[in-house]
Amino acid sequence: MRRRSTWSALLAVLALVAAACGGGEPAAEGTSSTTAAPDTTTTTAAPTTTPAPEAGPKTIIIGTTDTIAELDSADAYSVRDWELIRNTGEALLKFAPGTTDLVPGIAESYEVSEDGKTYTFKLRPDVKFGDGLPLTAELYVRHINRMLTLEGSGGVGGALGTPFIESVEAPDSSTVVFTLKDAFGFFPQVVTGAPYMPTHPDIFPEDALNEFPDPPIYGVGPWIITDYVLGEQTVLEPNPYYHGEKPKVDRIIIRDFADAQTMALAIQNGEIDVAWRTIAQPDLLDQLESVDGLNVATVPGGSIRYLIINHTLSPTDDANVRKALAYAIDRDDIVDRVSGGTWEPLYSMVPPGFLGASEAFDDVYGSPDLDAARAALEAAGFSESNKLQLTLNYPPEHYGGTVADTMQVLKEQFEATGMIEVSLNAQEWSTYVGAVIGGADFAVSLLGWFFDYPDPSNYLEPFVLNGGLGTNVTDPDTGEPIDDLSAQLVDLLKRAGTTSDQEARAELYQQAQEVYADLVVTIPMWFEAEHVVYWDYISGDVTAGSPESLNIGPAFDFNYALLNTSK
Amino acid sequence: MHPLSIVFLIIGVPAAVLLLYVFVRGSGGLRRYVITRIGLTIPMIFILASLVFLVLRIIPGDPVTSSLGPKGSPELKARLRAELGLEDPLIVQYGRFLGDVVTLDFGRSLVGGQRRIVDEMGERFPATLELVIPGTILALGIGLLFGTYAAAHRRRAPDYALRMYGVVIYSMPIFWLGLLFQLVFAVKLGWFPVAGRIDAVIGTTVERTTNMLLVDTLISGNWAAFRSVLRHLVLPAVTLGLILSGVFLRLTRINVIETLQQDYVTAARARGIRERVVVYRHALKNAMIPVITLIGLQVAILLAGAVLTETVFAWPGMGRYLVERISVRDYTAVQSVITMFALFVALISLFVDILYSLLDPRVRY
Repeated sequence: MRRRSTWSALLAVLALVAAACGGGEPAAEGTSSTTAAPDTTTTTAAPTTTPAPEAGPKTIIIGTTDTIAELDSADAYSVRDWELIRNTGEALLKFAPGTTDLVPGIAESYEVSEDGKTYTFKLRPDVKFGDGLPLTAELYVRHINRMLTLEGSGGVGGALGTPFIESVEAPDSSTVVFTLKDAFGFFPQVVTGAPYMPTHPDIFPEDALNEFPDPPIYGVGPWIITDYVLGEQTVLEPNPYYHGEKPKVDRIIIRDFADAQTMALAIQNGEIDVAWRTIAQPDLLDQLESVDGLNVATVPGGSIRYLIINHTLSPTDDANVRKALAYAIDRDDIVDRVSGGTWEPLYSMVPPGFLGASEAFDDVYGSPDLDAARAALEAAGFSESNKLQLTLNYPPEHYGGTVADTMQVLKEQFEATGMIEVSLNAQEWSTYVGAVIGGADFAVSLLGWFFDYPDPSNYLEPFVLNGGLGTNVTDPDTGEPIDDLSAQLVDLLKRAGTTSDQEARAELYQQAQEVYADLVVTIPMWFEAEHVVYWDYISGDVTAGSPESLNIGPAFDFNYALLNTSK
Repeated sequence: MHPLSIVFLIIGVPAAVLLLYVFVRGSGGLRRYVITRIGLTIPMIFILASLVFLVLRIIPGDPVTSSLGPKGSPELKARLRAELGLEDPLIVQYGRFLGDVVTLDFGRSLVGGQRRIVDEMGERFPATLELVIPGTILALGIGLLFGTYAAAHRRRAPDYALRMYGVVIYSMPIFWLGLLFQLVFAVKLGWFPVAGRIDAVIGTTVERTTNMLLVDTLISGNWAAFRSVLRHLVLPAVTLGLILSGVFLRLTRINVIETLQQDYVTAARARGIRERVVVYRHALKNAMIPVITLIGLQVAILLAGAVLTETVFAWPGMGRYLVERISVRDYTAVQSVITMFALFVALISLFVDILYSLLDPRVRY
């Protein structure tokens, strides 16, 4: 009897496992199957699931390795958070899909005062939150005041609000008036950001942050977050009250992955339809490109890497040393040897495609020019028998697994002058970044930057003004430039920043980049393009910008509403 | 009910039943033994928690700078450090931490939206349990069956092959085995999914109560979801289980071999009892006692293995959470997870020890 019951139990378990393993997964009730891989692949097996016979909600599953930090736009300050907020919300102005061209968002028009300090936005009359609540100027002002006053862990108000805004008012229910602390020519770009997207008063209280609201979470954008499990997935469904063009699919699910390798296998296996941020490893991209039916598209990078040069620490307080380093770097060599060509060499802090972007470092220093590097070193008093002792500092784990290789290549390039002896110093990230931007420890260090708003000011000013994140071209305490050239640069940046005329700004930023290169404030090295991987049956809006990368353009605005699936 | 409370109930109720049994039916010696054992567990957890606290403060880095990077202003960093109590003297931070441990509150995360750690663990711990329990069952099953088989065929081909398997599988890097399974059984053969706990679409239909999806889908009768969870569980659980099966196999083998040399086994054979019955019913039963003890010790290794398995299979459990939080120096999260792991291991060890003492009447107190 006992033996029979044991066997029965064993059989039951086996039956369960067999049931689970066999036949694949049927789609959930009322849904279409989205887990099946197309049968066009050559390296993957047949789909693991069978499509549902009945058409259910059209669903697209997007994979990501980014994590959610918080969902209150008054404090959130990370790429993943902003992407969700941008899809559930909309700002006064926005970027035309796939471009950095400004177009109206929830504001139908705006005016700038003559002194450039007052911006008056006229709201569209048909803007509503996900529950049908109409957006008024008072509600918008309420949100901006939350962002400016509530202090959270993200600190976005202190970074992208209070430095610009003196006050914000609603003279009537459809007009929002910003009074700025100075004339900021790039303020229209600033207001496109997630922190400027209005929050619903019932979800986000006036006097407190709500970092993780219970779903549904809605703003005035095309999507509503209907469910989320941190570390697993986030579900978005269309906002029925959205004033603009409705999303083309019924549901977006964003699945979280711990690493790019697993995400790459998951898209190969058809478990996700799109893989977005971040697959950067060349071998993985090659592997995915070889799969029939999969597209690997490159999104021009907003993420740049550069050397922070400290202008008040020896030996880089000597302009000749700084120039020698700029002459000696061979960016193509770094890109080819370390990234297998997936990065792009960067010759200005402002990446290509942005307003006024130039290639100032290529123009001034060539790439590379070892004779000029040696001449500069000689002028600084160094020779083959009296070599410059240089320490290159870097965080080995923070920028992916290739950083150590990069620094090794850089060491070889500097030492190829025959007059520099390089030692490498790896430091844990939080210790490292504190030391770099503190400006008192490291002469030459590797750092990365990702813009807050897509404008050249955000690629130049942080490295010049208020100590310049450890460059010390201005005094960290007083903000005063340390020499005439620095003063010239500060002046150019201030003039460019306070001008509203975009052509004039472009001209001023080009001049600023020349001075920046002459001064060698930092040494731009490369930018890392992002990659979006998707199956053939997924498409973006072919009439909008950057359709080949699902309309993700230089502004890094991934608009889920433009996605469609033919499956 | 908080999912973490449910986890504690799952572990706590059997432990309580066992304790009740010991105190009602057990001998005075057994009761003393159990009390001593509990008495030793508390300082053990205390010492471990204190060590973790100290080590985290010794290693370089701080959570505020780590999460804000170059963009955080000095004012923001100073405010956050003050708010999070990182400027307090170490002894004050330590006192606060101990208070959190005693109340099982664990405080708030230091990064992101600063969620309550119990909420984060409530989402993650059930996922880890869901992985570790089948992993253990598989490891035990393979270990006991093949270990006994190897012992019964001592110094013959199956014995050599299984001994070799035990060594090879145990020394195999778990992430490598996981990746291999993903490539073969998911990408090439298409039998199982690569990652996650449940299909993304089906996952939207699941009502989460315990956060152990097998249980939740079973309770709600959501069979499509149940099947999906089971399919997603196979590769990570098999990866974890196989790695540990080597230890159980070798331990079972050696114990069965010893048992088979006992007089009562010889007597059983002399009475004409079939060899299979002798081996699997008489010898294995007695050889299992040290194996049961080993389970308690292996739980710690299982949890460590879960860290890597969860990363490879995008399994949103405590191991992946720990790795994520170590990288951003989230002190409270890291020390809470390790304390929780310690508590879990200690409870299982206690449970196993008591069980051992009940199973083996030869144990003296």
